[in-house]
Amino acid sequence: MTVTDQAGPPAETAAGLRPGDVRALVQPDRVRGLVYTDPQVYDLEMRRIFREGWVFVAHESEVPEPGDYVTKRIAGEPYIAARGKDGEVRVMANRCTHRGNRLCNADKGNSSSFRCPYHGWTFSNDGSLSGVPMRDGYAERFGEIRANLGLVQAPRQESYGGFVFASLEPEGITLAEHLGSARGAIDRLVALSPTGSVQLSAGWMKHRMYCNWKMVMENNVDGYHALFTHQSVYDAVRPAKVSHVPSKTETMVRDMGDGHSEIDYATEYRRLDEEFVWYGRLKREKVPDYIAALEETRGVEGAHDTLVIGPPHTLIFPNLFIAEMNVMTVEPLGPGETIAYTTPVLIPGQRELNSRTLRRTEGAMGPAGFLIADDGEIGARNQLGLAAREPEWVTLSRGLETDVTDATGRINKDKSAETPQRGWWKHWAAVLEGETARSGAQS
Amino acid sequence: MTETLSDPSAAALVDPALVAFIYHEARLADEARYSEWEALWDDRATYWVPMAPDADPETAVSYINDNRARIRSRVAQLNTGVRHSQTPPSVLRRTVSNFEVTDADGDTVTVASNFVLVEYRFAITLWAGRYLHTIRRTEDGLRLAGKTVHLVNAGGPIPTMAFLI
Repeated sequence: MTVTDQAGPPAETAAGLRPGDVRALVQPDRVRGLVYTDPQVYDLEMRRIFREGWVFVAHESEVPEPGDYVTKRIAGEPYIAARGKDGEVRVMANRCTHRGNRLCNADKGNSSSFRCPYHGWTFSNDGSLSGVPMRDGYAERFGEIRANLGLVQAPRQESYGGFVFASLEPEGITLAEHLGSARGAIDRLVALSPTGSVQLSAGWMKHRMYCNWKMVMENNVDGYHALFTHQSVYDAVRPAKVSHVPSKTETMVRDMGDGHSEIDYATEYRRLDEEFVWYGRLKREKVPDYIAALEETRGVEGAHDTLVIGPPHTLIFPNLFIAEMNVMTVEPLGPGETIAYTTPVLIPGQRELNSRTLRRTEGAMGPAGFLIADDGEIGARNQLGLAAREPEWVTLSRGLETDVTDATGRINKDKSAETPQRGWWKHWAAVLEGETARSGAQS
Repeated sequence: MTETLSDPSAAALVDPALVAFIYHEARLADEARYSEWEALWDDRATYWVPMAPDADPETAVSYINDNRARIRSRVAQLNTGVRHSQTPPSVLRRTVSNFEVTDADGDTVTVASNFVLVEYRFAITLWAGRYLHTIRRTEDGLRLAGKTVHLVNAGGPIPTMAFLI
C-alpha cells in the first residue's frame, strides 16, 4: 500500500485513507516512517484525534476569576475558554456568528463580553448574543437571530483536576473513559498541592518546532534518548537524577493503555526514600512554608511520602504531558511543524517554591532550555531524515521481549525500553481507524 | 518595559566606550566565542529574555532568566560540543543601533538599543528586539551586570533559541 502516492478511485474517508490503511502502518515493533510526514495521515489525525477525540484545551487556573478568558486553538480552529459570571468555564468557537470574524484577538484578558469589531455584534462571555447594532434592520426576525446565534460551544467539555478537555464531536466516549488510568497521574500532580489544586498561571512558553507533533509527544516518554540527546547537560551541568543503567535503578516505563504512558520513577524514589529527588534534591529547609502547609493537610508521614514520590512524568494521549513540575501541550500546524507550549506547575500561595519552580522551568524547558532546545533540534533532524523513504519502517522493538503486563498496564523495568511508544502507536492506529469512538471500546 | 529618557539630546552622548563594549559583546555572541563572552559578565548578573515587556519574573515564566551561575552553566553546555541545538553553531550576525542611556547610578549605566539579528541554520531566521545592557565600571574595566532582551515576537511562538541572543 502506498499512501503518499495513492492514485485511483475516490477515497472513502475525508482524508483519503480507506479502512485498514492506517492499521497497516503500525506493527507491534515498528511503524511506517510516513506516519510523521504524510499529509493524508495528518488530515485524518486532525479529524479522528483532535476533533472527534478528547484533547486538553486549558487549565481552570488560567481563568481564575469571572470574566477571565484565554484564546486557544483546537485542530486549527480558534476557541475561547472564558469563565462566566456564574463561575463556569466555557469553551466556545472564537468566531462571530454573523460573518465569521475572529471575535477575540488577545491571548488572554478579562471581559464580561466580546464585541466584534466588524459590525459590533456583542456576545456575553457565556456565549449568548447580547447585542446587535441597528437591530431594526432585522425586523421581526430579530428574536430568532438573537436566540440562535450565540457563540458555538464545544460539543463536549469536561474537566479533571482543573484540566479542561474538549471534543468537537457530540457523541463519543466520556472523558473518564478517555483518561482511564491517566487520571492517577493528574491525582499524583495535584497531591503535591496543600490546597489540592495546581496553578498554571505563569504563561506558556511557545516553542515552534520543525517536526511532527507525535515526535514531540512520544519523545517525552523516551527513556532511551536522554544520555545522547541531553549529553551536554550531564557533561556540563549535573548528572542524571537517577542512573540510566537498568540494573542500578528501579525506574520503569509503562504503557498505561488508551495511548497514555509514562516513565515512573516512584519505585526508585521510594527505594531511595529521599525527598525532592525530582526537584534537584532540594533541601526541605529551603521551602519551610510549603512543608508546613503540606504537613498540615497530609500529616508528617503523608507529606514525606508525597515529597518522596513527587509528580508524574506522564503523557496523556494525545496532547498533554505532565513533565514533573511542568505541563506541556502541543498544537500541530502541519505534518512537519508543531508548537510546543510549556508552563510551570505552581502551587497556590507558595511564592518561595513557585519562584524556584519558575527558574527550573526556564532552565530545562522551552526554546532556550537546557533540555528542550536540543529535543527541538533532534526533532527537526528527525523530520529531515524521514524524508528518505527507505527504510520504510522506524523500529520500536527495544524491550519487546521483556515487557510484562500487570494491573497498571504493560511495564518494562528497563526505562530505555520502547514500551511507551508501542502503547502510543497501538492506540493511535485504533483511533485513526475509528475503533475507539464508542463507549467500552478497547484499544 | 519602562524606560525614561529625561533629555533626548543625551542620546548622542552615549560614552563611546560603552558602545564599543556592546559591539564587542554582540560580536562574541555572533561568533560563538562562548568563554570570551562569559568573561564579560560581572560576578552578579542577570541575563533575561521575558515573554512580555511588563512581565514580573516572580509570577511569569521567561524564555531565559539566568543568574550568574546559570550563565556559567549555559556557556559550559555550549562548550561541550554536544549541545546539539548549537552543534554546529548557528551562523549569526547582528546589528545594534539606536543607543540611549536610560539609567545611570554611580558606577552602573543602562544602555538601551535596538537590534536585528540574522540566524542561518536550516534556513534564515530573523530576530529583532530591544536590548537593555546594564554595564558596571569596575577596576578591571567594564563588566556586564545585566542584559535584557525584549524580542519583538516575545509573545511567540519562537523557534529554538539556543544561541546567545
